[in-house]
Amino acid sequence: MKTATADTARPPARPSGAGGRPRTLRRPPDRAVLGTIGVIGFLLLWEAVPRIGLVPSRFLPPASEVLATLGERLVLARFWTAVGDTVLTWAIGLGIAFAAAALLGFVVGSIPVLRAFTSSTVEFLRPIPSVALIPLAILLYGTDMASTLLLVVYAAFWQIYIQVLYGVSDIDPVAEQTARSYGLGRLARLRYVAWPSALPYVLTGLRLGAAVALILTITGQLVIGTPGLGQEISVAKNSNATELVYALIIATGALGVAVNVGVRALERRTLSWHPSVRGEENA
Amino acid sequence: MRRMTLPVAAVVTLLASTACGGGGQEGGDGDGGGNKSVTVGAIPIVDVAPLHLGADQGIFDKHGIDLEIENTTGGAQAVPSVVSGDYDFAFGNITSIIVGRSNDLPLTIVSNGVTSTGEQGADFGGVVAPEGSDITDAKDLEDKTVAVNNLENIGDTTVRNSIREDGGDSDTVEFVELPFPEMPAALDRGDVDAAWVVEPFLTSSLNGGATEVASNFVDADPDLSVAYYFTTEQMINEDPELVDDFTAAINESLTYAEDNPDAARDILGDYTELDSEAIDQIRLPRWPTENYQEPAQSVADLMMHDGVIESQPDMDALFR
Repeated sequence: MKTATADTARPPARPSGAGGRPRTLRRPPDRAVLGTIGVIGFLLLWEAVPRIGLVPSRFLPPASEVLATLGERLVLARFWTAVGDTVLTWAIGLGIAFAAAALLGFVVGSIPVLRAFTSSTVEFLRPIPSVALIPLAILLYGTDMASTLLLVVYAAFWQIYIQVLYGVSDIDPVAEQTARSYGLGRLARLRYVAWPSALPYVLTGLRLGAAVALILTITGQLVIGTPGLGQEISVAKNSNATELVYALIIATGALGVAVNVGVRALERRTLSWHPSVRGEENA
Repeated sequence: MRRMTLPVAAVVTLLASTACGGGGQEGGDGDGGGNKSVTVGAIPIVDVAPLHLGADQGIFDKHGIDLEIENTTGGAQAVPSVVSGDYDFAFGNITSIIVGRSNDLPLTIVSNGVTSTGEQGADFGGVVAPEGSDITDAKDLEDKTVAVNNLENIGDTTVRNSIREDGGDSDTVEFVELPFPEMPAALDRGDVDAAWVVEPFLTSSLNGGATEVASNFVDADPDLSVAYYFTTEQMINEDPELVDDFTAAINESLTYAEDNPDAARDILGDYTELDSEAIDQIRLPRWPTENYQEPAQSVADLMMHDGVIESQPDMDALFR
C-alpha cells in the first residue's frame, strides 16, 4: 500500500539513490563505537564521583552499586508488573491521543473556516501543563490508571494534533488540483493525496507524542500514585532506598530509549518511500 | 499550603457544582453475605504498618472485610479521593483533615492512625541540625531556615510551638518546603539550617552525623496523633455497619502492632523498600486505640494560632 501511494503522492524532491554521498560509508561503525565509549565514560565518571567524595555516596551511590541493585530488581516479578503497567498506560494513552488527534487534525485542518475558528482555543489550551490537571484527574478518577491516562492523553494529543494540522496544510496544491481534474472524489483525494503528504508530519507528531506520553506516564505514577515504575520510584524514595531510586530511574530511561527506537523504526518503515527517509537510510 | 489547597479547593468547587453527587462508586457491596471489599488509601511508610499487619494477620478478614490497600502519595491526595468515593477510608494527616473539615468537607475520623512516642529525643519525628551546626535546641531555630515537607501543615505549626515553648520567637523562623527524601542532602549542602524529618529519614540523618534538636510532636502533646484513619459522613450514613467493622478491625490491628513491634518491623519489608538495617534501627511510633481524640485539639489550637485555619472546626463532629 505504501509503495502504491508513492508516485501518486508527490514527485521525488531530490534525486534518489545511494550515489550522492560517498563519504557516508565509514560512518555507522563509528557511531556505535562512539556511543559505547560515551556510555562507558559516563558510567566511569558516575563511579568515580561518589568514590572520590565529590558527592556523598549516600546521596549518589556509585554506578556499580546502582547497576547491581537494578540487576537484583530485574529478576523480581514486581518490577516487570510495574514495567507492564507503565507500558500499558503509555500505549493506551498514546493510542487515544493519536486516534483523536489524527481524526480531529484532518477534519479541522482540511476545513479552513473550522481551523480559523478553533485556532485561538487551541493556542489557549495547548500550553496548559498536563501536570496542572492532576487535582482534576484525582477528583475524576482517583488513583486509577485513568487518572494518569488523562494527563498522558492531554499532553500527547497537542503534540500530534499540531503536527497533523501542519501536515494537512502542507499538501501540494498542484497535486490536489491534479487529483481534482482527474476526477478523484473527496475520499480518494484524502486517501491518495492528503494522507501520504501529511504522513511524515503525522509520524513526527507520533514520535514527539510518544516521548511526552512516557514522561507524563511516569509523572502521573510518581505524583498521583497510579501503579507503575513511577510509583515504585516514589515508594523507594519514601523508604530512603537511594540505590533503588537510581536503578528505577535507569529503567525508565531505558524504556524511553526503547520507545524512541521503536517509533523511529516505525517511521522508517512507514515512510520508506519518502525522500527524507530514503536519504537518511543511505546516510 | 499550595499542594493542599489545590485539591481541596477543587473538591469544594466540585461538590458545589454537583450537589454532592459522588456516591455512585462505593467499594463495599455486601450481597451474598460474604466479605465486603473495602479500599483504603495509605501512604506506604512506617506509620501504616498496622494496616498491612492487620491484613496479613487476617484481622480484617475476621471482621468480614476484604481489604484493598492503595498506595497514596500523601494526605493531599487522600482527602479528595475519600470525598469522591474512590477510597472508602484513608490514612491522613490530622492537619489535612482539620483543614478539610473547616472547608466544610464531610470528613470524619474513625480511628487513631499513628501517635508520638511521647519521649523527648526518642520520637519517630524530630528536628535535626547538620553536624557542626551551632543549633542545639529549639530556641536556636530563631532566624534560621527549617525544611518541612508541607508548609502550613503539622511540621511548621508544631516546630513553631517548640520554639515558643523553648522561649524563642517563632515568627523569625523561615520554613522551606522540601520532600522528606531530599532533606538530608539539603542539610548537607547547607541549603537549610535544620529540617523536620520523620522516619526513616530521622535515623538516616542521625547516622549521617546530624543532631536532634527538638521533638516537636512531644512538645505539642506527648500523646499527639499525627494521622488518623478517616472516611466521609456519607459513608457512615450509607453503611454504618461497615464503618463499625472497619473501626473494630483497624483498632485490633493497631493493638496487634503495638503489642508485636517485631511483627510491625517485619511487615515493613513487604510494602516499603526499607533495607533490613533501616528496619532494625528506626524508631517505631505508638499505635494506641484510646485517648487519641483530645490531642487533636492541640493541633487545631496551633493551627488557629498560626492562622492556617480561620475558625475552629467542631472537634466533636470530627470524630465518630
